[in-house]
Amino acid sequence: MIEPYNKLVKLAARAFYDDLTSKGDNQPKTGRSDNRGIAVVVLDALTRRQWVREEDLAKDLKLHTKQLRRTLRFFEEEKIITRDHRRETAKGAKIYSAAVAATADGQQTAKEGEEKVKLHTHSYCCLDYAQIYDVIRYRLHRMKHKLKDELENKNTLQEYICPNCAKRYNALDALRLVSFEDEDFHCESCNGRLEVESDKIASQEGGDGDDNARRRRREKLKDMLQKMEVQLKPLMDQLSRVKDLPVPEFGSLQAWEARASAAVRAANGDINAGDSKISQLGYNGVPMPYSGDTKVVVDFNNAEGKGEGVKSETDGTGLKVLPPWMITSGMNLTKEQRGEVKQEAKMDGTSTSTAAQYTDDKKSTIGLEDNKNIQDEYIKAYYAALLKQQQELEEAAKTQLSNTPPADDPSSSTSNRQVGMKSKREEDDDGTEWEEAPFTGNGNEGYKVDLNVEAEEVPADQEEDDDVDWEEG
Amino acid sequence: MFFHIVLERNMQLHPRYFGRNLRENLVSKLMKDVEGTCSGRHGFVVAVTGIENIGKGLIRDGTGFVTFPVKYQCVVFRPFKGEILEAVVTMVNKMGFFAEAGPVQIFVSNHLIPDDMEFQSGDMPNYTTSDGSVKIQKDSEVRLKIIGTRVDATEIFCIGTIKDDFLGVINDPATV
Repeated sequence: MIEPYNKLVKLAARAFYDDLTSKGDNQPKTGRSDNRGIAVVVLDALTRRQWVREEDLAKDLKLHTKQLRRTLRFFEEEKIITRDHRRETAKGAKIYSAAVAATADGQQTAKEGEEKVKLHTHSYCCLDYAQIYDVIRYRLHRMKHKLKDELENKNTLQEYICPNCAKRYNALDALRLVSFEDEDFHCESCNGRLEVESDKIASQEGGDGDDNARRRRREKLKDMLQKMEVQLKPLMDQLSRVKDLPVPEFGSLQAWEARASAAVRAANGDINAGDSKISQLGYNGVPMPYSGDTKVVVDFNNAEGKGEGVKSETDGTGLKVLPPWMITSGMNLTKEQRGEVKQEAKMDGTSTSTAAQYTDDKKSTIGLEDNKNIQDEYIKAYYAALLKQQQELEEAAKTQLSNTPPADDPSSSTSNRQVGMKSKREEDDDGTEWEEAPFTGNGNEGYKVDLNVEAEEVPADQEEDDDVDWEEG
Repeated sequence: MFFHIVLERNMQLHPRYFGRNLRENLVSKLMKDVEGTCSGRHGFVVAVTGIENIGKGLIRDGTGFVTFPVKYQCVVFRPFKGEILEAVVTMVNKMGFFAEAGPVQIFVSNHLIPDDMEFQSGDMPNYTTSDGSVKIQKDSEVRLKIIGTRVDATEIFCIGTIKDDFLGVINDPATV
């Protein structure tokens, strides 16, 4: 669907921006500094990308960032690209990286190191296809209109110029310019004789009023119009081809990142591996009310951590454990279909290895590659098991009536919820509701809100829970 | 285009007019003041057609003049872009010609005159077709289309074209 649009962009780039030079006119043009064609290269490169950080683009194109930026600014003015600037930490940049990886091949390991709190301004750019389509159409329309207007000499405002002082007038000033000595127009300031300004495309050589010149001009204009029709035919064809197609829309930078990371999550099968801490703190570390969607995904450390949580519940030391309550039943169904046979055998291997891994983050990423497959398998299996557990749980809850919290008995699942994560509200099919309690320690407070008898049991599991409590109602 | 609208004006009346026909004096002074004037907003005031309301007069300190707020109906003429007008040619030169439609001055530059009309200088400068059948000179009546207006606070000036279907000379004084 994006292909015809990309072709359109490429055609337009070659038609309109081919001989664009981004250098100022004051600099002498040497062979070296001649950068015509850069615009085309940049636009072509953008057709192969979605949102891209400008530094990365510069690196890919082996261009200086300044030069690239100048070109991009030009395109922004031409309404061909949209740009986004934001101040962000290294973490914010990582969100983007994850999203990029998502569009690339879907395998990405974002490691959770100590982030520098320093903010950098990063610029991102992206083609704005909807607008490009309009811009090109408008441009063609204006070109045709100008030529046709001139061809018919219609509705054009005649301009006059004073050869002495170069002052310009137009026909609307005519009344003030008439002098009574002769029949010419005279300049207001120097009383010089005004001449008809001839900056119109085709009128350069023609003497004014001369019949021959007029005819020649007409022919030249006609010729130009025809040439334009012929040379821009591919572009117009492409425009009409694209006309009925849906416009590829990437949305704003944030929306795009969210979608990209959601995609990779789905691809990896670990829907819930998102690090919700990152997602809920905005790019500047300001908590956002609900931003579960803008999540970096794919954190295998986390995934393993969750595995760990199941195996050894005591060991919940602030890892990013995958909270099972984030699993919605629809997602789990897909898990179910996957094999859960081999899981047990692998569980041990992975959990030990992961245990090693999150003791040291740096190491873990290296070791990660090896048992990634194993982990994948494991995660799938784990989810399947988890689903079963949850279903049982729900059953129990149903039988018990809504008064007793279903979460009371299966300690394994509750332990998982410990993780220092802000819980999001999600609605289960059976109307189970999770609520967010903004801070921990006093988990009991959260329970008071709407829960009941069993409240004490759960906090017992949550000694380690630094940030958040979860509840089930 | 003509409009019939209500305008308001503060009239200053000299004490010598106070008396039985204060109102008549006020109206005649109003007509004398506003008819023929031009405002960028409303166009040319062609005629006062009636008085809506005359407010309470206020005596100015020191002078004895009295200010009356007067609401009056009037006909205004406001040229618009794209409007077709009939006008009388007032001057012809090689740059084009000037014409008047009532109070409005219109300039038609030579590239907005049909290509087959040539400028002929001389005693009576004019634009003539090659076969001499159509001639534009002073006092010719032309139908033209306004393609641009220049509206100042107290002045409206237009440029027009006769390079379109059904535009051009409608009554040539030379042949009458």
